[in-house]
Amino acid sequence: MREQILAALSQYGSPALFGVVTIAAIGVPLPITLLLIVTGSLAAQGMVSFWWAVGLATAGSVLGDQAGYAIGRWGGSRLVDRFSRLLGSRERLEKTQAQAREWGGPGIFFSRWLITALGPWVNLASGIAEYSWTRFLIWDVAGEFLGALIYILLGRVFSDSVITLDELLGDFSWAMVALLAAVLIGWKLFKK
Amino acid sequence: MALIRRRPLLLGLTFVLAIAVTFVFGFRAGAHARRIRRQNDPVRPWMSVPFIAHTHHVPSEILFQAIGVQPREHDRRPIRQIARAEKRPVADLVRDLENAIANARRNPQPNAPGKAP
Repeated sequence: MREQILAALSQYGSPALFGVVTIAAIGVPLPITLLLIVTGSLAAQGMVSFWWAVGLATAGSVLGDQAGYAIGRWGGSRLVDRFSRLLGSRERLEKTQAQAREWGGPGIFFSRWLITALGPWVNLASGIAEYSWTRFLIWDVAGEFLGALIYILLGRVFSDSVITLDELLGDFSWAMVALLAAVLIGWKLFKK
Repeated sequence: MALIRRRPLLLGLTFVLAIAVTFVFGFRAGAHARRIRRQNDPVRPWMSVPFIAHTHHVPSEILFQAIGVQPREHDRRPIRQIARAEKRPVADLVRDLENAIANARRNPQPNAPGKAP
């Protein structure tokens, strides 16, 4: 799957980028970080315009996010059940729903580009919780724009080492997650 | 989580494990960061010839020539698709491209694109 997606991007450029980011934002697990990095490399090669790519990636992601939000808000319980089963489980959705209420706008913003695995869940949970659509849209556009800008820019700067860069970012993210866990556990352990 | 909160030993072990995982992935990220400026990406079947030419800083004409394909403007077909069209195994094309890259590096062209390998 990963190979086909990258081949399509490398061959067709913008339309492939738009299609893949939209599908991924709805909740299909696709290698989006690598896709955006390779897009940056294509921008460095002059195959696509840098700002056009950032705009298109943002637009595709926002479109997919809006679909997730709409399912949560207006899809009815049967559709929500089916969609949450597709993403994993109903329990995880309920957990994300509680977190979405607690975090609000910043939760939407950071799940667009920092904790991207939570993105589709936050979309669905925000819709179910009837979070204001206007606010959701503003946080969504801001987060997706920043995410697309960061990864496409990194891909443009390191355009000859896209695979190594993707591996670096993957390991760095895991190191950050583990560090955050260590800080939280350490806080519980040593605060007494 | 409730079980972890009740047992300080388990909490301590989880803390040590989280620190260890941080170091392992941090070390790996550091190794990738050191590699990023010294080494080019390997040739993969999803890459097009111009893409490989860019990542390895060699003219794409040399690479097209190496796999026996007439260089055409805007030929962005992935290696896998070229292999299918040429009725050749993908591994053969990858090997030919790697050899051409190695040759180009041994005898650099004066107008080769990008940084020196």
